Amino acid sequence: MPDTDGAAKGVGSVKRQLQVAIILAIVGGVLTTAAFLMAFTTARVQTFGTIDAPAAVETTYPPAPAAMQPTDGTGVRYQRPWLSQKIFYFHVPIAEASFLVFTLAAIFAVLFLVKRKQSYDTRSRIGMETTLVFTIGTMITGVMWTRASWLTNWSQLGREMLSEPRLATYTIMLVFVIAYFVLRNSVEDPERRAVYSAVFTIIAWIDAPISFFITRMVPSNHPIVFQSGMDTTNLIPFIIAQIGMLMLGYAIYALRVAEESSRDTLTVLKEQLEG
Amino acid sequence: MKVSAFRQYRALLRKDIVMELRTKEMVTSMGLYAMLVLIIYYVALSQAGQAFDVTRIAAGLLLLVVVFTSMLGLNRSLVHEQDQGQLEALLLAPVDRPIIFFAKATTNLLFLAIVEVIIVPFFLIFFVSGAVVPTGSTVAVSQSGPAWMTALALLIGSIGIAGVGTLLATMSVNTKGRDFILAVLFIPVMFPLLLVIVSALSAVLTGDAGYAQTFWKMCAIGAGYDAIMIAVAFALYEFILGV
Repeated sequence: MPDTDGAAKGVGSVKRQLQVAIILAIVGGVLTTAAFLMAFTTARVQTFGTIDAPAAVETTYPPAPAAMQPTDGTGVRYQRPWLSQKIFYFHVPIAEASFLVFTLAAIFAVLFLVKRKQSYDTRSRIGMETTLVFTIGTMITGVMWTRASWLTNWSQLGREMLSEPRLATYTIMLVFVIAYFVLRNSVEDPERRAVYSAVFTIIAWIDAPISFFITRMVPSNHPIVFQSGMDTTNLIPFIIAQIGMLMLGYAIYALRVAEESSRDTLTVLKEQLEG
Repeated sequence: MKVSAFRQYRALLRKDIVMELRTKEMVTSMGLYAMLVLIIYYVALSQAGQAFDVTRIAAGLLLLVVVFTSMLGLNRSLVHEQDQGQLEALLLAPVDRPIIFFAKATTNLLFLAIVEVIIVPFFLIFFVSGAVVPTGSTVAVSQSGPAWMTALALLIGSIGIAGVGTLLATMSVNTKGRDFILAVLFIPVMFPLLLVIVSALSAVLTGDAGYAQTFWKMCAIGAGYDAIMIAVAFALYEFILGV
């Protein structure tokens, strides 16, 4: 169904949308790349000490020097690998971006239910698509971080994912986004599909603040970054990465919106030419 | 003359209960299904051996049977309405829409509660109190907490299941996949509540030291989740019925 509201605004508004999106994407991309470079060059590796693991743990990381090994021979002490610090400059910003686009999707879902404009449904859907991308990104970087920092092996990972509060609620967020698309595909009537999707987005969004604040409320292994204290050389790339990734998240969303509305505009223009 | 909200609610409740009394379809199908799940538990645990203490996982098993049974019931209760065109008739009738939600949620809760009253004692007799004391265990076998605590935890769980489940089932009956879609939507929404209820139930059933503290904390979180979710479901139900 073509969005007549969008088409009425004409080609000019689509072009402007596209320009803003591209500029944001470029700035966000540059900032993220800069943060990436800084993370691997200027950022100091802060020593969090070592980690004890049972002797049987399977890890690719080197054991600590012999002098640091526990004397009673109960386990092996591993060097906390530096990768856990590098990945964190991306894991946190990607997760924040996923919350941002999820919130956008929920806002447009509410707007759709109130105003019943088709373009709001499209925006909400695109928000969910972007959420899917960023949620998967968070999960991948999270798995890398978990492997590096908690020395979790693959068989422990599944257990961790459903027992650690932050990981569990975030995994559920991914399931929500997948369920959203399953729901969308199984409703045929466009209006009903839009309403059901909006209602489900709102219900699903309740999980986002829960996931965000849960590490501050219940005991959790998941670190809370701003309470752990950071060195200035770490803080600067971290903040740049956050700003860059939030911009990039919004830019991907805005690019898709511009794409959809230019398609709608095209449909309307075609109809006008034919009629 | 405008009929008061409470009378509308009562009339809708009466409709569902009378229909159930005539057909006895919901309670029998849910009850039988729950029994079959218990039989599967029996088979699944048959090779666990003497040393395995079933009470450690009893809370999870109990919740599992409740969740599966409730999904069956939720789906059936709305399929009824849909297939015989009752939902449309209800919308034509001068009934406030929020009242339709509360009436439907109440009957779902009622039928689920009836099935639980039948099935939970069976479960507790077969899997918890009948559990064999692990041979050679030096730990004193702990006593389960009082039965009313189990009932309270299940009630909090059931209220949430019936409240949100009614909204999601109303959505899923209008989709192509019906019961599959209900499962896909229902389980992630219920996840936090299920986690909380299983902690509360587990605390009671194992009766470890200081279980009451965990129990009350979990029940409070569960009740809070119920309140939020029912408020949201109540606010959104009107939109679902509108299309």
